Amino acid sequence: MNLPRGSSLRSFAAKLRGFLRGHQNNREFEEEIHEHLQLLVERFVARGMSREEAATAARRQFGNTTSLQEDRRELQTLPSIEALWHDLRYALRTLWKSRGFAAVSMATLGLGIGAATAIFSVVENVMLSPFPYKDARHMVFPRIHNTEQSHEGGRQGYTAKEFLEFAEGNHVFDGIVAATNDPVLYKQGEGTEEFDGARVTPGTFEFFGMPALYGRVLQPSDYESGAPPVFVMRHKTWVERFNGDSSILNKTFVLNGIPRTLIGIMPPRFGWYGADVFLPEKPARGAEWGASDAQEYWFVLGRLKPGVSIQQAQADLTVIANRLAKVYPQDYPPHFTVQIRKLGDTVVGRIETTLYTVLAAVGLLLLIACSNVANLMLARATAREKEFALRAVLGAGRARIVRLLTAESLVLAMAGAMLGVLLAWGGLKALVAALPQDTIPSESVIELNAPVLTFTLCVAVLTALIFGLAPALQSFRRDLNDPVHESGKGTSGGFRGRWMRDAVVVMEVALSLVLLIGAGLLMRSFVALREVRLGLRADHVFQTVLLLPEDRYKTARQATGFFRPLFARLKTLPGVVDAAASSALPPSGGAESRVEVAGKTHDEEWQTLFQYVSEGYFRVLRVELKEGRVFTEAEVNDARKLAVVNETFARKYLPNENPIGWRVRLARIETSREPVRDAWFEITGLVADVTNRGLQTPIEPEAWIPYTIAGSEAQVLLVRTSQDPGTMMNAVRKEVWATDAGVPLAYSGTLEDRISEGLYAGPRFGLLLTAIFACIGLVLVTVGVYSVLAYSTARRTHEIGIRMALGAAGDDVLGMVVKTGLRLVAAGMAIGIAVSLALGRLMGTQLVGVRAYDPATLATTTLLLTLTAAVACWIPARRASRVDPMVALRYE
Amino acid sequence: MGKDRKGTEGTADARKSEVLQGTLDLMILKTLHALGPLHGFGIARRIEQVSRDVLQLNEGTVYTSLLRLQQQGWIAAEWGTSENNRKAKFYSITKRGQKQLELETENWERISGVIARVLRLEEEK
Repeated sequence: MNLPRGSSLRSFAAKLRGFLRGHQNNREFEEEIHEHLQLLVERFVARGMSREEAATAARRQFGNTTSLQEDRRELQTLPSIEALWHDLRYALRTLWKSRGFAAVSMATLGLGIGAATAIFSVVENVMLSPFPYKDARHMVFPRIHNTEQSHEGGRQGYTAKEFLEFAEGNHVFDGIVAATNDPVLYKQGEGTEEFDGARVTPGTFEFFGMPALYGRVLQPSDYESGAPPVFVMRHKTWVERFNGDSSILNKTFVLNGIPRTLIGIMPPRFGWYGADVFLPEKPARGAEWGASDAQEYWFVLGRLKPGVSIQQAQADLTVIANRLAKVYPQDYPPHFTVQIRKLGDTVVGRIETTLYTVLAAVGLLLLIACSNVANLMLARATAREKEFALRAVLGAGRARIVRLLTAESLVLAMAGAMLGVLLAWGGLKALVAALPQDTIPSESVIELNAPVLTFTLCVAVLTALIFGLAPALQSFRRDLNDPVHESGKGTSGGFRGRWMRDAVVVMEVALSLVLLIGAGLLMRSFVALREVRLGLRADHVFQTVLLLPEDRYKTARQATGFFRPLFARLKTLPGVVDAAASSALPPSGGAESRVEVAGKTHDEEWQTLFQYVSEGYFRVLRVELKEGRVFTEAEVNDARKLAVVNETFARKYLPNENPIGWRVRLARIETSREPVRDAWFEITGLVADVTNRGLQTPIEPEAWIPYTIAGSEAQVLLVRTSQDPGTMMNAVRKEVWATDAGVPLAYSGTLEDRISEGLYAGPRFGLLLTAIFACIGLVLVTVGVYSVLAYSTARRTHEIGIRMALGAAGDDVLGMVVKTGLRLVAAGMAIGIAVSLALGRLMGTQLVGVRAYDPATLATTTLLLTLTAAVACWIPARRASRVDPMVALRYE
Repeated sequence: MGKDRKGTEGTADARKSEVLQGTLDLMILKTLHALGPLHGFGIARRIEQVSRDVLQLNEGTVYTSLLRLQQQGWIAAEWGTSENNRKAKFYSITKRGQKQLELETENWERISGVIARVLRLEEEK
């Protein structure tokens, strides 16, 4: 009684030992008992009893050997497989008998586990192991960080010489490779297309450790001078550009004028450097930094030797960088450090916090689901107290009853997990479809893989322990004598237990309301976002980027020589209304420049966005002209220094003036790639504001100047059509190639799609995620309120019986129970609204067209939650009101 | 209600034996401490001898106790030969067991002292 039970670990070890020794233990124990009995018999015989009498007396004195064996089994072995199977069958049978309870529990767990699985899947595939490469966790890249600059980041491109110094001089990598960008033009049919090419150093494919899907990867021999030129293609490119046609393997493509053989196609998840094609190149020391225009910058990737830390690598590379800085002082800031970053940091860093926040929220949802099911089980256990008492009386050990309950919990959890996996599978599809572009590394594939399913299994077992523990412990703690005495005396469990349950419901309601309000606000904000006037008409516009070869398009004359005939050709196409060129893809507003206005002095620096356009730009995008005029075709052809500005420009820099005729200087143009002397422009027109920095940020000043000012700047082709712009691709490409077969097209599509992706995908994703969680929250609240009330009314059946015997009507009881529930709900809602208002400040930045304290949203969501909660209260309340007082009283 | 009472008598017994077992653990530890290694039969005899007519002992429960004590590492078991040349399992107290015994003895004395005082109080009233 006073002996502590000692550590459970120790007894578990003993059990495991016993289990492993199995029959031997059993036999020895039997022998020992047999021996004891024999000695007793002999003793009784010595006292003069007959053998038979002595045997009976010995057995009496020794007691029940069977129960002793059972004690031993419980103490010394783990439950056998057979017993487990028995428990399982029993659990299935009892759950089948209370299907309603089982269904609600499984659905609740399914939602919780499903949400956890889905989000963990994203975390696992995007953050824990996004890369399919060999030992990807140790892949790092160096960057030169200027310590005098406050923000993160630094130079990540290195000359061939620097790369070779790093490769040969380091002591920390067991592999190091580099890649450099190389736009690859190749002839396709009657025109030209472009690949995102990467030239990669020897050993690159060995470094990543991925074999080709078809054909072979680059080998050392491919890098030898005089080796036949070859290249390798990425899977995505092969599927999208060549429809996965395997006959292109071993075909020869003319890439940048050199015939090269396609020797291999990589597996889907190989996405190194985001390149379409990989060409072999041995970096040579010859090219000196800044010596020519053709300077290459190599992105360097190394794999840390086992046991080498980031700090050691930093120290080692800093030594090399310090040496290089002495030789090439112009390329290194006076004070710098070498930072070592892990592969994937650049992409994943941005969503890491978000994902972990969401994971935490999902964990909370899961806990709530667990406590809901725990309450449901408690309610059920109350009804089963007599069954347990009877079992105990008939000799079932407490451990045995706990085991039965645990088996039930496990069955529920496993069923919930299966449901959860299904939900996660569906949810992930929706999630991935809505994921904004470039938020995850291109190598990541979000899927339910083995680690994720293992996680789900662990979560299921864990939840079974959490929600199964409360009822199991209750049955354990409860004196088996008592149910008959105590049940239904109006005690709703211990005070602490009740307090806990109430707190859980209040928390659930609060959390759910916060989520609902968040979802409501995001939804209203999203609707408002769709109604924000962009300032242009994006419908019926086809857009594409023309990669004008720099060597042939340098001057304004060369550019007009291409665009004028192209515009003429396009306009003759059926379905084309107008065409224009620009230097920026709407709705982003181009480059930024310091700006001066003649006759205006100011202390702070004035900035404006600007872009190069053809005269048709404003017509094609239907930008509204407010004052003056846009430039004419003749003015553009003459490269006249004229400008059109937006209203924000006029309002900020020329307030209360008619902007027409003022002269402005765009300083950036004087130092650009094609410097223009004396960059003063005369304003000829004022146009309405056009969104130029995304929807959530205010519109910035902007200026439009003729594209002929700089020959190679205009690269975007915009075509207004009278028919569906999505069908224009082939016709437009044909005309482009008829004008110049050497110009490839990229990023082709409709302007509407692009705007939708660029402006709405992010908010849409946030809305989707919040809405899903809000729905789950709402379901959990319903189950939560229901389960707590069901439990407390079950415990109060006796009290209710007395009330009704004393004259309370069914309606009174109904009202009483509903009131109990709604009191909790009201408390939760008060907290939820308070939290939402506090969080409103944080959300404010994400909202457009709606304030965080939007009364309509608050009212709607509160009403929705109240109605849901009322239904959840009503069901157990109605059951309570139908209690037959005679039955309830006889309960005792 | 009366009907249920009858049904619970078995549990009342179980409760009693549970109380017994706790003290039984202590008694076995003490016995092994005092007399050195003994087999189960010997332990039962010793307890019988000391507590004659006071405790009605189901000797089988000695073995449950022994198993539990073994699990906690307070006693150790070894196969050996008994006085009459038969194979028997001998139990002896371990170092941990001696410590536990001291602790428990102290505990027991304190609590039984308290109970004795309380009972005297009742009588004085």
